[in-house]
Amino acid sequence: MEQDMQDFAAEVRRFLDAHVTKAPDHTAFTWGEGDDTMAYFSSLPPEEEREHVQRAREWQRIRHENGFGWITGPPEYGGRGLTPVHDLLYDAIESEYDVADTGTLSVIGLGMIGPTILAHAQPRIKDRWLPAMYRGDAIACQLFSEPGAGSDLASVATKAVRDGEDWVLNGQKVWTSVAQHSQIGLALTRTNPDAPKHRGITAFLVPMDAPGVEVRPLRQMTGGADFNEVFLTDVRVPDDHRLGEVDGGWTVALTTLMNERATVGSEGAGPVAAALSPDRLSALMRATWTWDDRALRARLAELLVDAMATEHLNTRALRRLRGGVAPGPEMSVSKLMYGQNLTRAAHFVSDVLGPRVIADTGKWGTYAWSELLLATPALLILGGTEEIMKNILAERVLGLPKEPAVATTKEVRS
Amino acid sequence: MTADESELLELRSSVREFLEAKSPEEAVRKLMESEPRFDPAVWAQAADQLRLPGLVIPEEYGGDGFGPVELGVVLEEMGRALLCAPFFATVVLAAQALLASGDSEACARHLPGIASGRTTATLAVAEDSGSWDPALISARAVPDGGGDGAWRLSGRKAFVIDGTTADLLLVVARTVAGPSLFAVDRRATGLEAEPMETLDATRAMARLTFDAVPATLVGADGAGGRVMAKVLDIATVGLAAEQAGGARRCLETSADYARTRHQFGRPIGSFQAVKHKCADMLVQVELAEAASREAARLAAEGAPDFPVAAAVAHACCSRAYVFAAMENIQVHGGIGFTWEHPAHLYFRRAKSSQLLFGGPAVYHERLLDRLGI
Ligand SMILES: Cc1cc2nc3c(=O)[nH]c(=O)nc-3n(C[C@H](O)[C@H](O)[C@H](O)COP(=O)(O)OP(=O)(O)OC[C@H]3O[C@@H](n4cnc5c(N)ncnc54)[C@H](O)[C@@H]3O)c2cc1C
Ligand SMILES: Cc1cc2nc3c(=O)[nH]c(=O)nc-3n(C[C@H](O)[C@H](O)[C@H](O)COP(=O)(O)OP(=O)(O)OC[C@H]3O[C@@H](n4cnc5c(N)ncnc54)[C@H](O)[C@@H]3O)c2cc1C
Repeated sequence: MEQDMQDFAAEVRRFLDAHVTKAPDHTAFTWGEGDDTMAYFSSLPPEEEREHVQRAREWQRIRHENGFGWITGPPEYGGRGLTPVHDLLYDAIESEYDVADTGTLSVIGLGMIGPTILAHAQPRIKDRWLPAMYRGDAIACQLFSEPGAGSDLASVATKAVRDGEDWVLNGQKVWTSVAQHSQIGLALTRTNPDAPKHRGITAFLVPMDAPGVEVRPLRQMTGGADFNEVFLTDVRVPDDHRLGEVDGGWTVALTTLMNERATVGSEGAGPVAAALSPDRLSALMRATWTWDDRALRARLAELLVDAMATEHLNTRALRRLRGGVAPGPEMSVSKLMYGQNLTRAAHFVSDVLGPRVIADTGKWGTYAWSELLLATPALLILGGTEEIMKNILAERVLGLPKEPAVATTKEVRS
Repeated sequence: MTADESELLELRSSVREFLEAKSPEEAVRKLMESEPRFDPAVWAQAADQLRLPGLVIPEEYGGDGFGPVELGVVLEEMGRALLCAPFFATVVLAAQALLASGDSEACARHLPGIASGRTTATLAVAEDSGSWDPALISARAVPDGGGDGAWRLSGRKAFVIDGTTADLLLVVARTVAGPSLFAVDRRATGLEAEPMETLDATRAMARLTFDAVPATLVGADGAGGRVMAKVLDIATVGLAAEQAGGARRCLETSADYARTRHQFGRPIGSFQAVKHKCADMLVQVELAEAASREAARLAAEGAPDFPVAAAVAHACCSRAYVFAAMENIQVHGGIGFTWEHPAHLYFRRAKSSQLLFGGPAVYHERLLDRLGI
């Protein structure tokens, strides 16, 4: 196993060395130099955003041509047939290089929707979409959340009604990331309002250009619009676009949620990690003449302890992965801490900057932090809120009993 | 020597098995009220059966030459069991001070006895203020007229772990060259040791008074500051392992209780307020283990970022243990507040461990200092 991993790692490095250059070290840092952007979400104007997505598609195509487009996928759909451990190892190594950010394609589409299609779709649909997705041609979004179904996802109310060989979908999805760039979306719909809520859901792959699909950008609190409302009005979807059984969509949804990829190691890189870099934070305190403020020093130390302990947690998980050991509960802990650490960093820095973060003085590295400050609330919500993550940790890892269910189908029907 | 993953597992399970048999709660409670604060028979067995005192002593001095990672495993288990034993003071403080001094003669004289379990030892640094900062030391040593590396030591030390029982005392005292390390025999004339009442009765502490006590210089005259910096890194990482082990135990106890205790017709663990407390404890414990184990690994590798990792581990594990020990009482409700329940033993150990080397104000600054901030 270890030898296999070493060979794979070497192959990955050969590929990357041949196509791209090493990323600059984001932690080594000189005050006043380089890019001071501190954005988590894109805030690009539409034209630049399109170019950004184009670069992402292009890099995904190169990965694919070299055998790294879908490391865990089966060869008949253009995959490499290796393990999730290889996949994580690839990500960790790639994060050392300066490559196009493929988040638009990979986080949801390739990471979550692709494996779901593979597990549950009918053969024709797999042939049609899987190679296209992993080649960078098709982007997929997750049409799960609705105004009335967030944490309690099984309460989805979007209706699907059988009509001959087709299904007709009506309803509203919300918070749908990357829908504006997507060719397909995986939708959870209600097909049996009389069954218990988990047993009346059916999943469909919806072509986003089908008549009746309307994507309306939703502006988030950062000012940009990364997510959307998606209205489905009499959208006709052929039955072969159904994933899993009729009323068996909850199983399909679980596949998607389980494939939310572990983010081992990759969080250690990129401009966002700069927010937790001791060098950057200490430079900031020097530049603002606050380095001897005792209250701020104590907060900084607390913040760095958490950030560095989280890094140790990731490092250790990654090392075990290299030895072929699958990630354990530390990955949920890591996700939880990721949101908390960045939130605390953003507030700490804001408090150091004081008025310079409420109005732009034009000074390098000051008002730029407002972007991260405004983005952090999302990190405690998306992909399962902090409360839901804690429930999962307590129930799955510690074996604490679930809350007694109050299952009803009433709210679904109304 | 370094153990691989499966050898570490084996070490852990044999230490755990030994401690479950030799240091169950009843034994801990009995020792808490005895003098000495440990069971010499159990200490001898730990030495004979598991060779624990010699675990990290180099082979040339009669030990088994293992490193910080193996030491961490043993300390996690000892912390978990609240073992009352001279291990921390002898192995983690005194032996490390001897090694850090670079004085091979002193090592050859004292370490074989420590490795075999025959000699117990401790390190006396703090005085009445409790600070471990060598700059604040006022105990003094002057050369003894007779020459031959003999000195006379005078002054007071406090918070000395196992100070009334340790056979060998390593004492930091000031000479004209600065803080320096000395070895003192506990039967030396002019030395008085008096037990201190402690928040955590599983770790004995004493106040020592030195009145022109014969002492031997260990390492170079004036090198005490450098030695202490090294020892503190190793000792805080050792302590961190103990803390992580204790915190893990508190989490397990709470989760067990939350699964079984019923109120309002359901297990209290099904109430989200309790559930989230347990999840928060789990997060802290996972971070603490990662921080202390990673610091131990970096120490074993002699990595340049070890001092930073040591400071992170000390802060992270101190906080995690205090948090877990407090929440453990809370999850247990009234029963957690009783003398009979072990929750307070962990609380006492957690709080006193956090403050042993100075507490948050000190360890936060140590981290920032190491980062050059
Ligand atoms: C930036 C962003 C991108 C997103 N992208 C997508 C996407 O691409 N596709 C998609 O389908 N969804 C997406 N989401 C939606 C996201 O999954 C939901 O917002 C999230 O699951 C919470 O649902 P909600 O917003 O309805 O909040 P609610 O579920 O209404 O929660 C409100 C509050 O109640 C708490 N709460 C709810 N239930 C419980 C419980 N059982 N115990 C304790 N507390 C509880 C929550 O923790 C939260 O604090 C995105 C969200 C964000 C912020
Ligand atoms: C110093 C002291 C003095 C006392 N004096 C008296 C006295 O004079 N007379 C007297 O009658 N009693 C007295 N008590 C008892 C005290 O009222 C109880 O300890 C307290 O009500 C908690 O009950 P419990 O110990 O059974 O814990 P439990 O009720 O078992 O609680 C265990 C844990 O579960 C949590 N929990 C329980 N139910 C829920 C829920 N629904 N939602 C969320 N969390 C929950 C609790 O908050 C606690 O953290 C005293 C207790 C103490 C510590």
